[in-house]
Amino acid sequence: MKKMMTKIAMGLGLSIALVACTKDEETIVIPVSAITVKDLAADTVTGLGLDGRPQSAGTTTYYSLVDNKVVASTDAASTKWDIAFSSTKILINGGTSGPGIGGAFVYVGLFDALKTIPADSNFSTDNSNAASFAIPLGSGKAWYTYDGLTTLVSPIAGRVLVIRTATGKFAKIEIISYYKGGVTLPASASVNDKLFKQRYYTFRYAYQPNGSKTF
Amino acid sequence: MKKINCLILFFGLLQTAQLSAQSRFVKDTLDANGDSVVVTATRTERKLSNLTVPVTIINAKTIQQNGSLRLTDILKEQTGINLTSGFGAGIQLQGLNPDYTIILINGEPLVGRTAGVLDLNRIALGNIKKIEIVKGPSSSLYGSEAMAGVINIITDASMGSPMTVGLRYGTYNTVDANLETKLQTKNFQYQGFINSYHTDGYSIRPNSNSRVRTPIERYSTTQQIKWELSSKTNFVLNTRFTNEQIQNEIAVSNNGVTIYSIGKENIKDLNASASLNHRFSKNLKTSLRTYTTTYDALQNLLTINGLPYRDVLNHNFKRIENQTDLDLNKKIQAVFGIGAVWEGVKSSRYDSEKLRKQNDIQYAFTQWEWKASEKFTLIGGVRFDKNTQFASAYSPKLSMLYKLNPQHQFRLSIGQGFKAPDFRQLFLDFTNAAAGSYSVFGSAQAQQVIARLDALGQIGNLFPNYNLLKALKPEYSNGMHFTWDWKINPSSALSLQLFRNDIKNLIESQQVGTYISGAQIFSYLNIGRAFTTGFEVEGQHKFNANWSMNGGYQYLRTGDKDQIAAIRSGTVYTKNSQGYSRLMKLNEYVGLPNTSTHKLQVKINYNSPKGYYLNVRAIYRSRWAVNNNNGNEVFDNGDVFASGYVAINSAAGKSFKNGVIIQGGIDNISNYIDAANLPNLPGRTFYTSIKYELQKINKNKIK
Repeated sequence: MKKMMTKIAMGLGLSIALVACTKDEETIVIPVSAITVKDLAADTVTGLGLDGRPQSAGTTTYYSLVDNKVVASTDAASTKWDIAFSSTKILINGGTSGPGIGGAFVYVGLFDALKTIPADSNFSTDNSNAASFAIPLGSGKAWYTYDGLTTLVSPIAGRVLVIRTATGKFAKIEIISYYKGGVTLPASASVNDKLFKQRYYTFRYAYQPNGSKTF
Repeated sequence: MKKINCLILFFGLLQTAQLSAQSRFVKDTLDANGDSVVVTATRTERKLSNLTVPVTIINAKTIQQNGSLRLTDILKEQTGINLTSGFGAGIQLQGLNPDYTIILINGEPLVGRTAGVLDLNRIALGNIKKIEIVKGPSSSLYGSEAMAGVINIITDASMGSPMTVGLRYGTYNTVDANLETKLQTKNFQYQGFINSYHTDGYSIRPNSNSRVRTPIERYSTTQQIKWELSSKTNFVLNTRFTNEQIQNEIAVSNNGVTIYSIGKENIKDLNASASLNHRFSKNLKTSLRTYTTTYDALQNLLTINGLPYRDVLNHNFKRIENQTDLDLNKKIQAVFGIGAVWEGVKSSRYDSEKLRKQNDIQYAFTQWEWKASEKFTLIGGVRFDKNTQFASAYSPKLSMLYKLNPQHQFRLSIGQGFKAPDFRQLFLDFTNAAAGSYSVFGSAQAQQVIARLDALGQIGNLFPNYNLLKALKPEYSNGMHFTWDWKINPSSALSLQLFRNDIKNLIESQQVGTYISGAQIFSYLNIGRAFTTGFEVEGQHKFNANWSMNGGYQYLRTGDKDQIAAIRSGTVYTKNSQGYSRLMKLNEYVGLPNTSTHKLQVKINYNSPKGYYLNVRAIYRSRWAVNNNNGNEVFDNGDVFASGYVAINSAAGKSFKNGVIIQGGIDNISNYIDAANLPNLPGRTFYTSIKYELQKINKNKIK
C-alpha cells in the first residue's frame, strides 16, 4: 500500500511538473488582469468507503479573491473569504454560508467577452439547500457535468461564475478543471487517478477592486 | 411437377405469389444485380431490375459461405449497416437507430424490442432463403417503424433437399445444430426447421468474471405448410417459435462497489401467420392474411446481497389484412390494402405489470404502378394509419426507374416515413437493480415519477433537459434516394446511391439526472430535427471463373439541426486544450453520437469448380462519438470517441458431390477488442462445421 501511494505521489509530481511547463499567458487584453489559481485542493479524497463512494474529511477550502490566497477555516465566520470549495460544492460568502454580502450567478458566455456585468443581472445568495445555492450544486446545473459512465466531472464550456464578493465588489471566474494537473482526466484514466486526482480546482478569475461592474 | 417446384419458391414470401406466373428460378448468384425476384419493395413480386427503389438481396449461398449463424453476422457485413450494442444487437441503417428499421419474417413484423432494439441474434439463418433490404422510408407500405428501411427475412425453402442436417462447433463452446426437413406432394408442401444454439458466452474485460455475452441456450423451430386448394387458390401457414435461456452472471461496478447478480432469463417468441390467396382472373388476385405474435421475456435474478430482481415483458401483436392486386391494363397495376392491428404490452417495467398498455391501429394503403415505356416506370403510393394512441399518419411515396440503356439504370424515390412513440418511450418505469440501479422513465410520466423520488430525497442531480420532458410526438422522416446502377461489363458492376433523410421530432433516450448514489436516470425526448445524409458506393468484379471481389463504402454525415443552428448563432462553446472556453466552430461538429463517417467492407471470394471455396471479408468502421465531456451537449472533436477499427473474417470450405459441405472459419482474425464500445465483438474466434444435404429422392416415391 505504501509503495502504491509512493507511485501515485510520483505520478502527481510528474503531472504537476508537466503543467508547470505550459504556463498560460492570458493577461494582455483584459484591463483587470486575470489570475489563474492552480490545483486548489477542495476536500480531497482519502479513500473509498464501503458504500463505494469516495471518502473525505468533509473540509471546505475558503478563498479570498481580493488577496488571491487561501483563508484559514477558522476565519469561516468572517468576511475575509469570498468563495469556498468543497468537492463540487461552491459556497459564496453570504446568505447561509457566511456573514458577507456576497452573491453570484452563472453567466452563459465567454470569460473574455464578459466585459461588463449586465445591469439587470440577478445575484442569488446561498440558502439551506445546496442545490439552490447561488452556484447551484449538481451536474448540469451550473459549472460542471458528471458522467456516470466515465465517472468524470467536466466543467461546462462557456460558463462564467459572476461573483459579488463578501464586501460587495465584483469578480468573474471560469473553472478550468476539477482534477490535479489542471486538465480534466481522459475517460481512459485509471480508477485510482479518477478517485485521488479529483477535487483539485484550477480556475482563472478577474477581480475589479474599484467596485464597478466593468472588468 | 417441375413447374410447381419452381413456383413453390415464391410462396411464403408475402404469400402473394402469382399462381399462373411463368416459372423462373431465383438464381443463387453472387451477382446481386441478377434478375432475382423481390417482394419487399412493392409488396408484389417484381424483378430486381424493374424495381423503382434500391434493394439489396443476400442469398442463401452467401450466408452459408460466410459462415453466418445469426442475422447480425450477415447484416454487419452490408454497406451502410452498423451493429449497435446495448439491449442486444440491433442495426443502424444509414445512420438511423435500430428502432427505425422494421424487421419482417416472411413479410410479418417481429416484435419484442428492448429499448427500441430487436435483438437480431434471435434469428437463426439456417433455413433462410434470402434476405431483402430496402433502404429509405417505406411507411407507405409498412406503416410505423419503416422509416430507415425494411429488412425482410424470407425462409421459404421448398426447393432443394428433402433433409438437411448441419452441425457447427466454435470458440466459447458455441454449438449450433440444424435440422431441416421437406415434404412435397403435388398439392402440398411442408418445411420444418429446428435449430439449437448454445454458447458459453465470453468475457473480454480483463480480470472479470462477468460475461459480455452471457451463456445462452436457444432453440428455434419454424414450420411452413403450403396447400394448393385449387389451381387458383392456396393456403399458407407459417409458424416460428424461439425459446432461449440466458444464464446471467452480471458483475456491475458502481463507484467502485461491485454487485454480482446471478439468475436466468427466459425469452419465448412465437409467431404464426396464415394466408389464403386466390386469383380471380389473370388481372385480379387477393389475399387475406392473419398474423399473431407474442414475445415473452422473463428475467429472474438474485443479487448477491439477496435482493431478488424480476423483469417481465409481454408484447403481443395481432393483425388481419387484405391485399388485392389489380392489373388495369398492361401499363397500370394497382395494389389495395386494408388492415387492423391490435397491439399490447404488459411489463414490470411499467407502473404495473398487470395492466396491458394497448394501442390499436386501422390502416389502408394503395400503390399504383405505371409502366410508361420499356424505359420508364413510375410508382406512387400512400398509406393512412389511424392510431388510437396518437394522431393519424399519412405516408406518401413516389419512386421512379429510368433505364437509359442495358448498362445504365437510374432510380429516384421520395417518401415520408413515420414512427409512433412506442410503449416504452411513454410508459417505461424501470430501475435495473441488478446493473447499477439506473432508471429509465417513459416521457409521459418521467416528471411525475422523478418529482415523487425527489420528494423522498432520492434524487441527486437533475440535468437541464429534465425540464424539457413532455408528451412525445410521433417522429417523421422525409427520405430521398437516388441510385445509379452501372453494368460496366459482364463481369463488373458499380452502383452509386445518394441518400438524405430529414427527421422531425426525433426521439432519443438521454440522461436527465442522477440519483444520490450517482446512478443514472434516463428518459426520452423529442430531440428535434436531425438529418442523415451521404452516399454509398458498391461494386463487384469477377476476375475469372473462380475469383471475384465485391465491396461497399458508405460516407455518412449526421446532425441535429437545432444544434447546428445554435453553433451558427454563436451560442455553443467548447474548451481549448488549456481548458479555456471558446466558441465552437461548425467544422468541429461531429453530428449524432454512435454514427461513423466512414464504413467500408471488402470481400474476396474464391469458388472452384470442384466445390472448394474461400472468402476473406474485411470491415472498417471509423470512430464514433460516445460521450460528451465538455458539458455543451453537442458532440465535437473534444469529446469521447470509440476508436475506428478493422475486423477481418474468413471462411473456407468444400462442397462434395454427395451433399456434404465442410467448412472452417476465423472471425476477427486481428483480435480487435473494445470491451466498452463493442461488446458484441469477441476476440478472435474459430469454428468448424459440417452440413449434409440428403440428395433428392425420386419424387414418385414420396407420392
